[in-house]
Amino acid sequence: MIDIDPSTSLAEVAARARAWIEENLPSGWPVDRARLEADWYVLLGDSGLATPTWPREHGGLGVAADAAALIADELARHDAGRPMTDFPGVALGGPTIIAWGTDEQKERFLRPLATARERWCQLFSEPGAGSDLASLSTRAVQQEDGSWRISGQKVWSSFAHISDFGLLMARTNQDVPKHRGITYFLLDMRLPGVDARPLKQLNGAAEFNEVFLDDVVVPDSARLGPVDEGWRVGITTLMAERSGLSGRPGVGPALTDALARRAREVGAWDDAAQRDRLVEAHVAEKVLQMTTIRAFVELGTREPGAEGSIRKIAHSDLEERVARLGAEIDPFGLVAGTADAAEATHEFLSAKILSIAGGTSEIQRNIIGERVLGLPRETDPHVDKPFRERPRG
Amino acid sequence: MSTTPFDWSDDQQEIRSLLRKKFATSSGTEIARAALEAGEDTGAAARWLELSAEIGLAGLTLPESVGGMGTGRVELAIVGEEMGRALVGGPYLSTVVLAAEAIVRSGDEDAAQAVLPSVAEGTTTLALAVAETSAAWTEPTTRHTDGRLTGRKQGVVGLPGADVLVVSAVDADGHTSLYLVDTAAEGVAVTPTPGIDPTRPVATVDLDGAVARPLGRPGRAHEVLAFVRENAAIFLAAEQAGGSRTCVTVTAEYARTRIQFGQPIGTFQGVKHRLADMEVRTAQAHSAAVWAAWQTPGSPEAALGADVARSWNSRAYLQNAFDTIQLHGGIGITWEHDAHLYLRRAQADAALLGPLSAEHQRLAANLGTESA
Repeated sequence: MIDIDPSTSLAEVAARARAWIEENLPSGWPVDRARLEADWYVLLGDSGLATPTWPREHGGLGVAADAAALIADELARHDAGRPMTDFPGVALGGPTIIAWGTDEQKERFLRPLATARERWCQLFSEPGAGSDLASLSTRAVQQEDGSWRISGQKVWSSFAHISDFGLLMARTNQDVPKHRGITYFLLDMRLPGVDARPLKQLNGAAEFNEVFLDDVVVPDSARLGPVDEGWRVGITTLMAERSGLSGRPGVGPALTDALARRAREVGAWDDAAQRDRLVEAHVAEKVLQMTTIRAFVELGTREPGAEGSIRKIAHSDLEERVARLGAEIDPFGLVAGTADAAEATHEFLSAKILSIAGGTSEIQRNIIGERVLGLPRETDPHVDKPFRERPRG
Repeated sequence: MSTTPFDWSDDQQEIRSLLRKKFATSSGTEIARAALEAGEDTGAAARWLELSAEIGLAGLTLPESVGGMGTGRVELAIVGEEMGRALVGGPYLSTVVLAAEAIVRSGDEDAAQAVLPSVAEGTTTLALAVAETSAAWTEPTTRHTDGRLTGRKQGVVGLPGADVLVVSAVDADGHTSLYLVDTAAEGVAVTPTPGIDPTRPVATVDLDGAVARPLGRPGRAHEVLAFVRENAAIFLAAEQAGGSRTCVTVTAEYARTRIQFGQPIGTFQGVKHRLADMEVRTAQAHSAAVWAAWQTPGSPEAALGADVARSWNSRAYLQNAFDTIQLHGGIGITWEHDAHLYLRRAQADAALLGPLSAEHQRLAANLGTESA
């Protein structure tokens, strides 16, 4: 394990992480990445650098969010960090298992997560439970021997088709109101009855999936947290997700700098109106960076709370704005399909993803209104009814 | 002091809570309303003296060599946020943020020793007279000849009331320099021109052969004023963040208690979501002002921070002030409700240093020129 602990100064954290990466990164990286990455991720995981905020007894370094961000920066600088496909596992699964798991579950799952031996996905949303996630209807019924039989359909599950495990919420009690009859499971995606089918997105990529669960039987040891209290477990995952989808804590060149560079290349920079729109997007990006730094300092080692919704809205607004500006500064390129406009076309078609994924901006505004500003909750007229009496559509 | 932005020291937190407590009982909105109706704020000097004597407000960020406490921009931003929250006005901006900063940055020790000790005590207040025909600090036409100044300065914040002015002028050699002028001196005429924000007086100053003492070396006005502008941009951004925060607090409280259609209006998404957007703006305005305050004065980071904070926070406060009125409905557009007092401050803060195009031009100059 690398010599970094909660008492190490931030400057030292960055210096030691950099030195360790440079000493240990195999020669031939990143060109020969495909051949080298499995071994590298084991080395990285064992060093603690892949999961710096995890407690030391679980293979992490126990450091606060700001130190972890510096480590992530160093890894990004060497293009040596874990890919986005590992985000659900490392950023969401790990913290949820650490908060709620039994000793056996931590022992079984955390090291393979840290060393990229197993990939995870999230099985939360359903065709009938999107923004109203707590109305999910995938059912888990306990058998005589204590095992659970699970059936239902999940959707928008990123990387489910290439995952080993899934973070699953299922209905275990229909006789209580919606939030009180959910249980959380760690589902082995290789079990019979699990069928993940990639869904093609509007940008042509197929990153997320619909997942069909047909009489999948899991042992009781796959349950995370108490029976019927899975909503609370799920909140841990959701908070980590909002905070995690909010960008890097550093003030430096980012999306709008690249956009301005392209605007200078294609000549749009000479148009004062377009230039000013770019500068305004730049200002928005800077204040988000500053806000993310603040969030990481204020967060320390606590779990993220409702304030993550503020950054998630700001981040998705920015992504959308940048994607649209990217199309605006080179309109002909997108229409004519010129080679150097391919990326801008892809970004443009991806513009709306972040404001919907991980909870829509409307839901985030409800969260800010209700949990940050103390406004009255949105009324669900059936909130106190047993789940089985709820209208569903 | 910690070099990590947002890593507040115990002293800094104490200053904030002291100011918040003090300003909570200082009836900022009542004073603003009275000043608006009377056309002047007659109690300003007495309150300033009291604040300076009681909590050392005037001297907080001034150097220890002139009797100040020697703190820096982080503390300045704390004062700004708390003044913005409580709508406190008075001589702080003109005296400490603008004119005293010019005296300190001029490097003129004699001038500092002559003027600043009584400023730190709260017995002398200052104003910066550099704007002439626009709020942007363009090249002055005021002339300096044989130790005397002649010209007109407009939009001078802190007048009537200030005892000493820091004035920009061009001398016979064509150098733009700074000078100190006593407002009581012969050849100084002050005409009040009450602006949109009643919490800080504004006036036109006509100088007709007024005796002036040079401040710092000749020809250094632009260099000194660049520091002053950065200082003011960060202070105002903090004030805007504080004002935005009060808009959110006041409006959320109203949305929790105002009943229509049998329920608090904050239940409705049309209201809730507008308020959420106000919060998103405000949270980021606070980050921007504080981050900027934490950078080394005069560094590229401080310049970036000041420009970004000025741009974001100016719009944030204005939009929040407008949204506060919108969400209060009919009562929001009355003279009787305080919402317009925040709107007035928001517009004054946004306009004080000239149009935002200057900030945007500076930001554009560096944008997309470095490799990622």
